[in-house]
Amino acid sequence: MGEALWAELLKVRRSRLPWVTAGAFTVCAAVGGMFMYILLDPGRARSLGLIGAKTQLSGATADWAGYFGLLAQTVAVGGVLLYGLIVVWLFGREFSDHTAKDLLALPTSRTAVVLAKFAVAAMWSAALAVQIGVLGLAIGALLDLPGWSPATAAAGLAKILVTAALTVTLTTVFAYAASAGRGYLAAVGTMIAVLFCAQVVAALGYGRTFPLSVPGVYAGLGGTDQQAPGPIGFALVLLVGAAGLVATVTWWRRADHIA
Amino acid sequence: MVAIDVAGVSKRYGHVLAVDDVSLQVAAGEIYALLGLNGAGKTTLIRMLLGMAHPTAGLVRVLGSVIRIGERSAWAKVGYLVEGAVAYPELTVRENLEVMRRLRGIGAATVDTIIDRLALGAYADRRARHLSMGNLQRLGLAKALLHRPGLLILDEPVNGLDPAGVVEIRTLLADLAREEGTTVFLSSHLLAEVARVASRIGIIHGGRLIQELSPRDLDGHGRRLVTSARDLEGASAALRANGFAPKREPDGALVLTDDRAVERPDDVATLLVAAGCPPTRLVVEQAGHEDLESHFLRVIGSEMGEPSDG
Repeated sequence: MGEALWAELLKVRRSRLPWVTAGAFTVCAAVGGMFMYILLDPGRARSLGLIGAKTQLSGATADWAGYFGLLAQTVAVGGVLLYGLIVVWLFGREFSDHTAKDLLALPTSRTAVVLAKFAVAAMWSAALAVQIGVLGLAIGALLDLPGWSPATAAAGLAKILVTAALTVTLTTVFAYAASAGRGYLAAVGTMIAVLFCAQVVAALGYGRTFPLSVPGVYAGLGGTDQQAPGPIGFALVLLVGAAGLVATVTWWRRADHIA
Repeated sequence: MVAIDVAGVSKRYGHVLAVDDVSLQVAAGEIYALLGLNGAGKTTLIRMLLGMAHPTAGLVRVLGSVIRIGERSAWAKVGYLVEGAVAYPELTVRENLEVMRRLRGIGAATVDTIIDRLALGAYADRRARHLSMGNLQRLGLAKALLHRPGLLILDEPVNGLDPAGVVEIRTLLADLAREEGTTVFLSSHLLAEVARVASRIGIIHGGRLIQELSPRDLDGHGRRLVTSARDLEGASAALRANGFAPKREPDGALVLTDDRAVERPDDVATLLVAAGCPPTRLVVEQAGHEDLESHFLRVIGSEMGEPSDG
């Protein structure tokens, strides 16, 4: 699998997508920082009109714990799109560029190729989660947010990383959609459907046991009136992730590759 | 030794029978060309040889290995190019080859060797998205040849190449077969090129392998039966009704190239007399060597029952 991993990393390094996703996560951290800046001074929030009102509606508190929570929520929602985009690009581009056929009759197995793609997606997504955490620390320090303690920072960063891990786990479904759909379109449609379902089910109060909603509920998107997901919720996320991975590997191994 | 052994292979996609009970063998060192119209089943058969599509019935063996899901022992010795060359557009020519080299697990020096062999030196550091179609095709061939395969499976290998490139690839394939014993299985629409390079030719139509021949066989396929009658329309209709495919010459004569007409002109005479259109002339002519294009069109036309007398 090492050689397949090398090949996937080269393709990623030469593409624009790492810069696009890193830029998008930077914007997310900066917008979170802007919210904190506004919330730090209630008078400033009132003077900013609509933006101030929106900021107050977010329910976040202007301190370190609040900022990390906001960033975790950003990872839960934005991650479906950005982590999803990474997976969809890794798999879908092989069909859009018609390069998949070059990967099918090689001494390197198709399973190794697929696992290498998932490994790159996981590494890339982890790097983005670390990036948003580091940016959070820098922006929080710049704003001189109250409530700092090493324990608060560790808990906040852990929440961001776990939310990212949960979200990335669910993106295996997009890999299957990009493969079976032989391109980007079906996978992007699946991403939008997942995001919609996750929001609706969470809003109905069932988010802690609906796998697609679990990352958001864990990150606090459901507010204080929703219970955090328990072991069943986390297990269901793992189950969906494993099912997506197995389905993708099986499809690459067994499907008729006719396009 | 048999490099490719296809035994009773069929492939069905829903209601469409793309390949219908095809059996063929390609010996080591042969250059076997598969000819057929668009949609005849060439690419589906090639995909089954490479394990990209799975036969509905029958068995495919490549270099002794039965091609089935998960089986990949043959691929280290097989190079291929299916349905046009492709490359990662953001990578350079060298990087594209490097990706293939890594996935094939072969030595680093092979990349420079193949770049020289396919005359890609001037483009080695150019991104694939900026290559011309001809150079992209060269890159595709370079990937297929990178590991010095014992078997090359090439679908339209000279697509997009200029005439000099076509000659170059033809020479390369012939050299590989002659000097290194490489087996080549190819499909092409360039019949003149196929006739020059192939040692055996298969014609596929409607998913069925309808004929196999060697270019030498074309020497014997130049005979035709020329006949005339007072009632040409009636004679033509009678011939068509009996499964012949008469063509009308400018001088009004009817020409039959079907083997059974050429072999048994007396049967044709009997048929015409019985139809009330007795022949006024009936002669078997030797037209000499038939080119592959004429042969292909004749065989395919005959399969399609093409009414070609007008």
